[in-house]
Amino acid sequence: MAVNRSGSILAVDFGNVHTRAVLIDLVEGAYRTIASGEVRTTGGFPHGDVGVGMSRALRQITRVTGRRLVSNEGSVITPEDSEGAGIDMLLITTSIGRPLRTVLLGLTAEMSIASALRAVAGTYVQVVETITLEDARDENEQLNAIVLSRPDLLFIVGGTDGGARETLLRLAKRAALALYLTRGEGRQRLVLYAGNRDVAPQIEEMFASTAKVLIADNVRPSAEREYPAAAAAQLAFAYDQISSERGAGFEAAATGSALGVLPTAQSYNLVARYLARVSTSALALDVGSGGATLAAAIGERSTTTIRSDIGLGQSARALLEAVGTDAVRRWLPFFVDDNDLTAYALNKTLRPGAVPENLRELYLEHAFLRAGVKALLQTARPLWTQETRMDPDAPLPPFQTIVGSGAVFSGMGRPALAAMLLLDALQPTGASNLLLDNNALIPALGALARVQQAAFVQLLDAGGIMALGTCISIDGEARGKRATLRIRLTLPDNTIVKQDVPGGTLWVYPLPLGVRARLDVRALAGARIGGKRRVRMEVIGGTAGIIFDARGRPLPIGRTPAERAQQLPDWYAQATGDPVRAIEADWLQEVQKAAQPEPGVREALAPRRERKPPQAKNEQVRKAEASRVRGRFKEQPADAQKQPEAPAPAKKDEFDDLRNLFS
Amino acid sequence: MTYETYFPEQRHLLQQAAFRRDRLLPNEASGVLEIGRGDRVDLRTVVARGESTSPYTILDVVKALKLRSVEDVEKVLKVGVGDTVTQDEMLASKDKRNRKGLRSPIDGTVVFISAGRIILRAHSDPVQVEAGMTGQVVEIRRGRGALIEGLGAVMQGVWGNDKRGIGVIRLEPEEGLEHIYGGEFESPFRGAIVITRRPLKAVSLDVMVDQGLAGVIAPSIEPELLDAALACPRAILLTEGFGQQRMGGAVYQFLVAFQGMQATIDGVLPGVLEARRPEVIVRVPINPGERPPAARIDTVLQRGMQVRLTRGDFAGNMGEVVDLPQNTVMLENGLRVFCAQVKLLTGETVNVPLENLEVFG
Repeated sequence: MAVNRSGSILAVDFGNVHTRAVLIDLVEGAYRTIASGEVRTTGGFPHGDVGVGMSRALRQITRVTGRRLVSNEGSVITPEDSEGAGIDMLLITTSIGRPLRTVLLGLTAEMSIASALRAVAGTYVQVVETITLEDARDENEQLNAIVLSRPDLLFIVGGTDGGARETLLRLAKRAALALYLTRGEGRQRLVLYAGNRDVAPQIEEMFASTAKVLIADNVRPSAEREYPAAAAAQLAFAYDQISSERGAGFEAAATGSALGVLPTAQSYNLVARYLARVSTSALALDVGSGGATLAAAIGERSTTTIRSDIGLGQSARALLEAVGTDAVRRWLPFFVDDNDLTAYALNKTLRPGAVPENLRELYLEHAFLRAGVKALLQTARPLWTQETRMDPDAPLPPFQTIVGSGAVFSGMGRPALAAMLLLDALQPTGASNLLLDNNALIPALGALARVQQAAFVQLLDAGGIMALGTCISIDGEARGKRATLRIRLTLPDNTIVKQDVPGGTLWVYPLPLGVRARLDVRALAGARIGGKRRVRMEVIGGTAGIIFDARGRPLPIGRTPAERAQQLPDWYAQATGDPVRAIEADWLQEVQKAAQPEPGVREALAPRRERKPPQAKNEQVRKAEASRVRGRFKEQPADAQKQPEAPAPAKKDEFDDLRNLFS
Repeated sequence: MTYETYFPEQRHLLQQAAFRRDRLLPNEASGVLEIGRGDRVDLRTVVARGESTSPYTILDVVKALKLRSVEDVEKVLKVGVGDTVTQDEMLASKDKRNRKGLRSPIDGTVVFISAGRIILRAHSDPVQVEAGMTGQVVEIRRGRGALIEGLGAVMQGVWGNDKRGIGVIRLEPEEGLEHIYGGEFESPFRGAIVITRRPLKAVSLDVMVDQGLAGVIAPSIEPELLDAALACPRAILLTEGFGQQRMGGAVYQFLVAFQGMQATIDGVLPGVLEARRPEVIVRVPINPGERPPAARIDTVLQRGMQVRLTRGDFAGNMGEVVDLPQNTVMLENGLRVFCAQVKLLTGETVNVPLENLEVFG
C-alpha cells in the first residue's frame, strides 16, 4: 500500500470503553508525542457512532495544543495546512466488538491447522469450527457445521507448496457449497486462502461468486518451515473489512485513514518484537474490558495470544466462567461467595468503565485481573519455547522488558500499584524493566510501524511508554522471613544505600525517573536471581522506583482469607508506601446466609406451578453482609519504608458454476 | 479521562420526548418487511417477518437408487427446486407407483438438485419483529426492519432478558409482587407491566408466568437466577443491576406517574456496540401538532447537575455535583483518579470517580 511519508500523525484507537487519540509530530527532527485525548467510546447507545467520541478526543487535543484538527464539516483535516491545522496522516486501530467468526479448513490439525492458529493469534478471531481431513463428521454434518456457525471468514490452509492438491480442493468445495447455499443472507463473507500456492487460482475461482477472496503466502510452505506473517497481514485486512461492515460509524471515522481499521492486538506483537531486539526478550500485556492480549518475543521468535473471554469489563463474567470462582477467590483477603463474585462480574459487564471505589472493590478488581492473566499465560506459554511448552506451570522465564497496558494498570493513577500488579499477575523472575503504556501509545505504534518506522523507533526510544522501573525478583521460594536479598545501591552522588529484604516481602527504593544507579544485589538463604547468586548491573529509576521482590515464586499467597488478610495489605503498602489498609475482622467471617422462607401466600400457587426456574442454592444465598460493609479499614503505619507515590430457490442455470462442487 | 468536558454515562428518564429506535429481525434471521417508509405504526404493528438459518440435508440419489449415472437422475425425480416437501415424501423413485425410492427425511424445501444429489433445507421457526411503539417509519433497513420515530415517555434500565412485553403499567401490591394471585381472569395484573421496588426472587418469575404478566420492571436480581430470568417468557427490565439493590427513588417516582398507561418493555440484552438499551416506552397523550423535544445525548458534567452513583458504598444514591476538582483525588482504597464532589440527599459530600456517575435526561 502506497503511503505518504509524512510529518504530523494522528493515531486513534477505539476500545470497548475508551477512545484514545494521540497526536505525534516532528520536534527538532524527531517524532514525539505532542498531546493525547481520552473519552468514552460512543459506538453504542445513544450515538451508535464511534466518530462522536473521536471528535471529542480530538477537541481535547485542540484545547491543549491550540491546533485545529477537525473541519467545520466534522472531518479530520488532512493534510496539514500552512497554518498548522490538521494532520498529515490518520491511523485507526480498534479492539471493539465481536471477533471475526472464523471457520478453519485444513488438511491436518498438527501441521496446517497449527500454523493457521498461529497466524490468527494476532487478530481478534473466534474459531467457531475447524474442519480437517481427520474430521469424523460426514459431508452433511460438515456442511451444516459451516452454515450454522455463520462465519465472517473461511480460512483455508493446507498442503506444502507443490504438494497436495486434490484433497485440498475437495475440502474447499464443501465450504464453497456452504457459502453458495447461504449466499442470500446479505452478509459479507470473506475467504482467506493461505495453503499450497499452486491451488490458489482454483480457490479464487471457486469462491468468486459467493465471497471476497484474499490470497496470502502459504502458512506452511514446507514441512519444516512455517510462515504465518503474510496470512496475519491479510487477517488484519479481513478484520478491517468486517469492522467497516459493523456500522457504528467505523466506515466514516476511518475515512482518510492510511491503513483502514487495524486490529489493536497486532500492535502489541510489533512492540514486543522491537523491545526484544533492543533487550533479548519482551512481554507486552494488555488487559482491556472485552479481552486480553499477551505478546511475547524471545529473540527472533514472537507470539501473540488473545483471549476474548478474559476482560475486566464486558468480558468480566466470561472471565469468571473461564477461570472459576476459586481462582479469583485465592487472591481475596476476605470471604466472598460465588453469588457475590458473579454479581460483581455481571455488574461490571453492565458498567464496564466503572472504577473500584472502596477497598473491597479494589481487591475484587485486582483478583479478577490476576486470575485472568494466569489463565492467559496458560494459553500463551506453550507457544513460546520448548521449555515453556513442556511445563506451562513452571516459573516465568526471565523477560528483560515487560509492558503493561490497559485501564486497570494505567487508570489507577498509581505507577507503583501498576508495577505490583504486573509482578503479581506475571510473576517474572530475574531482572526486568517494567513499563506502563499510560498514554495508550502502543496501538498507535503498531500502526506506525507499518508506515513510518522512524516514528515507531523514535517514539519508543524517547520514552513514549512510561518506565516504571527495574524489578529484581527471586526465582524460587523464599525461606521464611530471613534476609533474602542484600542490596547495595550506589547513587550518582556516590551515596550508598544498603538494605536487606526479608523473604515474603517487597522493598522499593524511590530512584527517580531516568536516574541511573549501580546495583549490587546478593541472593541469600538459598535464593537465586535469574539463576544467579549475585547480580551487578546498572539500573535506571522509574515512576515506581526500583523494586525488589523477595516474596518468592510462585507467590506464596495465603491459603485462607485470614492469611491473605495479613499478606495482601502489607504488599500493597510496601509497593506504594501508603499506610497499611488493614482488613476488618468481620470481613473474615464467613457469613451464613439466613434462610428466607418464600411468602406463605405462594404455597397455594405451588401445586399448579409445573415449571420452576432453577432455584439452585435458593435460600442459602443472600448477599453477604460483608459486602455491605462501608469503609471498614483502619490506617496503620506501614512497616515498609515510605515511598513517593435464507436465499430464494435458485434457478437451474444459476447452478452451472457450482455443478463441479460435487464432481 | 479528565474533568474537563466530561461526558458522563447517560440514561433516558424522559417524560415526553421524540426518539428514534431501530426495530430489526435478529442477526441470524433474514426476511421481508411488512411496512414502508412513512407508514404509521402502533405497538403491535409487525415491522418484518423472517426465518432463521436452518440446516441442510444432502441426499445422494445415484447411490440411494443404485443408478448407473448422474444423467439417470432426471428420469427418477419426483420433485423440483423450490418444492416444499414433508417428511417421508417421495423425492425420487424408479418405481412408477412410488412405493420404493428415496424419501425426504425432513420437512423442508428442495434448494438444489445437481450432480446426482438433492439438497433440502429444513423449515425454520418463523420470527417477526413488532414496532413496540407508536410512531412513523422514517427509514427502511433492507431485509432486517426499520427505523421508527416515536413520541412518548422513556425510561432506560441496565439489563433486559431479551424479551419484549406490552401492557398497562401497574404497581405491585404493597406486600410485593409475589403476593399477586387470582383466577384466570380476575387479576388486574394479567397482561400488565408490574413495577416492583424489591429485587426479584425465583418465586417472582413463577408469578410472572402464573399470573400472565406482560413484564416486570425491577431493580435487581440475584445472579443465580440469571438463567431462569433469561428463560422466562415474560419481559424483565432491571433498573439497577445484579444483587440485592433496591430501586432508586428517582426511577420509582418516574414510573409511578405512568400507572394505568400502556407501555412497552424492550428488554434488550446489553452488548458491545449494541445501539439499543433496555428500556420502557410509555404511550403518553401528546397534544395534536405538538412535538416534544428530542432526547439530549451530549450532556456535559457540570456543577449543580443531579447524578446517580453506580459503584461503591453509595451505589444507587442520587446527589448533586458540587465541585469538579481539577486534579486527581486519592480514594480511600489508594487509587488516584478524577472525581466529582457529590452532595448526597443525606447531606453527606463524597468524592466519586467520574466513571462511576450517570446522569438522567
